[in-house]
Amino acid sequence: MAQKRQIFTPVSEKEVTRAIVDGFARQFIEYVESDCLIIGGGPSGLMVGRDIALKGVKTLIVERNNYIGGGFWIGGYLMNKVTVREPGQKILDELGIPYEKAVKGLYVADGPHACSKLIAAACDAGVKFANMTMFDDVVLREGNQVCGAVVNWTPVNALPREITCVDPIALEARFVVDSTGHDACVVKKLEERGILKTVGFGAMWVEQSEDLVVEHTGEAHPGLIVTGMAVATTYGLPRMGPTFGAMLLSGRKGAQVILQKMK
Amino acid sequence: MNLPRFIDLYEEGDLNGLDLIQLGEYLEERTHIRFRVRGNIYGKITRKKSEEVAKEFGGMRVRDPGKRFVSGVPFQGEVEYERRRISNPTWRIFGILYEGGLYQTTISKLIVKGGSVFNRCMILFTNQLLGTWDRDNSRYHARVSLYGFPNLISVTGLVEAPAKPKGFYLKKQMGLPVEELKKEYQGRFLDHGDLRVTEVLKGYAMQAFFFHITGDPFCEDRDCRLFNGHWQEEVLHSQMDGQYEFCPRHEKILEGIRH
Repeated sequence: MAQKRQIFTPVSEKEVTRAIVDGFARQFIEYVESDCLIIGGGPSGLMVGRDIALKGVKTLIVERNNYIGGGFWIGGYLMNKVTVREPGQKILDELGIPYEKAVKGLYVADGPHACSKLIAAACDAGVKFANMTMFDDVVLREGNQVCGAVVNWTPVNALPREITCVDPIALEARFVVDSTGHDACVVKKLEERGILKTVGFGAMWVEQSEDLVVEHTGEAHPGLIVTGMAVATTYGLPRMGPTFGAMLLSGRKGAQVILQKMK
Repeated sequence: MNLPRFIDLYEEGDLNGLDLIQLGEYLEERTHIRFRVRGNIYGKITRKKSEEVAKEFGGMRVRDPGKRFVSGVPFQGEVEYERRRISNPTWRIFGILYEGGLYQTTISKLIVKGGSVFNRCMILFTNQLLGTWDRDNSRYHARVSLYGFPNLISVTGLVEAPAKPKGFYLKKQMGLPVEELKKEYQGRFLDHGDLRVTEVLKGYAMQAFFFHITGDPFCEDRDCRLFNGHWQEEVLHSQMDGQYEFCPRHEKILEGIRH
């Protein structure tokens, strides 16, 4: 009687473990030094990463959660539709994200579809990720130039201190991008050190905040580019509400700033 | 009375359909003083000056309307934003609240070049938001106009500063979409790009003129175009539906000037 064929090739547990460790370690060693280190894997960070990686810039995104995409999975009030105002839909077109027109100048897309497409676009462009990794501090050089970040595993932060005296490690990069949303973690760290002073975001004013966020996107401090809602916190701009066009365009502008500075 | 030889009208940014020629003709007709449209306020400044002005504007943002203004060193990103704004005569973006008094000083340095300030009634029409500190309720308020040398009139301020009908805010707080509320209250307040803006700002320009000649831009008569309306409905009434254009007292002053 013929033996039933197995679907999968037999591989032992130890080989699986070796493959994970080896794959992770090789990539991590390579990306201990990169051209651009993006802190925060939300829409603006992904957009920066995607655009610069397409131009061959070695890019690592550090994300504190297991999942990438930040708030782009869902719109306001946990409803999974995301909106963009014109001309943000041009980026949706570019990424192949389907959408519908809601009213003149406003478009709505499925959050999961939009977010997964953006993540895939960043991956396809060559961006690498360190997820479940928390930003802890900045690496500074002469003249307080930002040239890297100190990071640690996210779970270290969530456990009792007695068992989590785990030293962080440092990653170096020519540019660091703060795309950590309203928290503006990197900028805030510079503020703690007395190097920068943030203002905090103002009241919500959707009509104006998107333009202002894009217009203020750029290098806030030597070596540090700020994108997305971190821009609003840094410069005290109005908060935005559940619309994402400015996140995508701010990311694109951040990428343009980096590419220009790399020339 | 300080009668100017000219009324000079300057522009800053995209004024969203404001017709300065029509407005100037109105001023000339009412005052018999020649008007000149002087164009973009930054049109003739040097690169060095523009750099200086960008830094000044960057440092005069009102960060917290609930606190007195404290000057500080602007971020490089803020200065760059101002640099781009200044260099683009059709700049459309607004939303930053600037300290009005400081803004006026900077503009004054750009257009008051020696001689007496009384020779020209200078009015800058801007699309930026200007605020002044209100001692009564201890906070900054956006303003439509700041009278002085020069006078500043904000097209954006005209929409954002005078309060809309109370019901608009109550329903907005209840979560009704702004677009729906705009339909419901259509006509009762001015919106960006509103076709009535030129007509309404004629009255504000006359307030600037009266400030220039008498030091007092306002009138307490709510039917007079010099009435200082704090509500959109008051503004629309005094500028468009008043019993007369100017109250008898101000009309008499204008008649005296014309003859």
